[in-house]
Amino acid sequence: MRGFVAILRRELFAYFVTPLAWVMMAAFLLLEGFFFFLLVLNYASQQEVVSDAGPVEAFFGQTILLYLPLLLVCPLLTMRSFAEERRSGTIEALLTAPVSSTAVVLGKYLASVLTYAALWAPTGLYMVVLSRYGDVDWRIVGTGYSAILLVGAGYLAIGTLSSALTTSQLTAAVVTSVTVLLLFAFGIGEFALDPGPARELCSYASVWSMMNDFSRGLVDSRRLVWCATVILLPLFVSVRTVESWRWG
Amino acid sequence: MIEVRALHKWYGDFHAVDDLSFEVARGEVVGFLGPNGAGKSTTLRIVAGFLGASSGDVLIDGLSVVDDPIEARARIGYMPESCPLYVEMRVVEYLRFRAELKGVPRATRKAAVERAMGDAGLDGYEATIIGQLSKGYRQRVGIADALVASPPLLLLDEPTAGLDPNQIREVRDLVKRLSASHTILVSTHILSEVEATCTRGVVIARGKLVASGSLDELRALRRADTVRLRLRGDTRAARAELEGLDGVERVEPEPHAIEGQERLRLVLTDADRCDEIVERAVKRLAELEVGVLEVVPLGSLEDVFSKLTEGDTPTASTEATPRARGREVRTRQRTKRAP
Repeated sequence: MRGFVAILRRELFAYFVTPLAWVMMAAFLLLEGFFFFLLVLNYASQQEVVSDAGPVEAFFGQTILLYLPLLLVCPLLTMRSFAEERRSGTIEALLTAPVSSTAVVLGKYLASVLTYAALWAPTGLYMVVLSRYGDVDWRIVGTGYSAILLVGAGYLAIGTLSSALTTSQLTAAVVTSVTVLLLFAFGIGEFALDPGPARELCSYASVWSMMNDFSRGLVDSRRLVWCATVILLPLFVSVRTVESWRWG
Repeated sequence: MIEVRALHKWYGDFHAVDDLSFEVARGEVVGFLGPNGAGKSTTLRIVAGFLGASSGDVLIDGLSVVDDPIEARARIGYMPESCPLYVEMRVVEYLRFRAELKGVPRATRKAAVERAMGDAGLDGYEATIIGQLSKGYRQRVGIADALVASPPLLLLDEPTAGLDPNQIREVRDLVKRLSASHTILVSTHILSEVEATCTRGVVIARGKLVASGSLDELRALRRADTVRLRLRGDTRAARAELEGLDGVERVEPEPHAIEGQERLRLVLTDADRCDEIVERAVKRLAELEVGVLEVVPLGSLEDVFSKLTEGDTPTASTEATPRARGREVRTRQRTKRAP
């Protein structure tokens, strides 16, 4: 893993020295803040109190609001990573340094995950604010953020692979969005299909149900296996792709 | 230091590198010559470990770039052709990143970057954003990058391409200075560059080895077998006189625009006697009271180069094995085109 730390640092530098990360963070927080406002308003106006539903639970699942920013943010964060280097030729300098392909892929990937986490970090303040006016179950907050990190990490892995497959950032972003949408739609099959093996398969892969579970504090190991698959498979293919350039 | 053995590279149907073998010994500065599209960059990319070969082997210090890629690459300071850099970084940030990437320990990193910047002539540009540098300075950053981890071997792919004459001279001086402490393989399509900086040359064309040898041996290849004269006066008589001269095979007129003058090409029977034949010719022309305005031996290294690398296929190979050997000049003779 020689060179991993250097690549990670340089990628984080690239995110935060260009306006990209900051612009995204501003837009993202604006959107999330608005969603949170809507949720709190909604629950505040409700007469009846349901035990496992509240603004915190709804923030981490059960509504479509969670997935919109994910769909926007993940492709944008990863589209650059390989596509830009290959277009500008800097990949040649990178790959002729004494570093392994695994270090290159993981360095870039982890930088995107950390940036993604940095986008979400300020939303922790929402929970702090909420806790001053009501009860917040911090275990739910914990599982909620873990789930967001896991799902995002999967999408970012898909994005990293897309970026490695093309020299155009735009193509990479589009391929990522389409793949993520298809994955999401596949999970929705859980509600659309008749009972049977196909439906069962869909329910295992359902992001919707996963977020619902985690936002209620339910951590199911089958979900974790699914997340690990969505993270590791694209990363593995990315490493092979980077290796394959040497033979192109 | 570098051993290239029977290297082949195919891009689809295109045979970019065709059975190329050569060696670079420790301490040598070798010019890697060839016209554009000859396969120089492809070869250097393979040596640097960026591209895989279709077949054949490259050893760096005895380490295969395929089996031992990381150790082999650690011995190389490579500057790619277009010198790609991260334009959003400052010079010093970029070089520190490269030093870290190449495994320069934290304790010596700062000093290594400073030394590389000094060697490449970048003092005072530490805080400049790379995107704002001119082409010449970007090239220097590329060279500093190649130097930063103090590798024993430098691979420079066309380090003077696109530079102005002053910058070209600076790069040449730099290569000369570096040659004291490094083994260098520098590619170029300009022969005079090799003359200026290298101890040996390897010439390729269309992916094949065409000639290799020490600079003196390459120079020996450039003996003039044709001389161009610009004359004024009774050029008809001059032509007749020259045609009768011993050692002149034939005389050919060249197109020339100035009235009362003529340009002739003297094709010599024996390039070794060039000086002597020219001396006699000029003496005779003076006796005829023909003004000799210009005498140009057309055997410059450039001509040898174009002759070696011109499109016609080799008619005979002087040696069966294409393996480059030490100081021996091997030239695949090509059909001499009628000048």
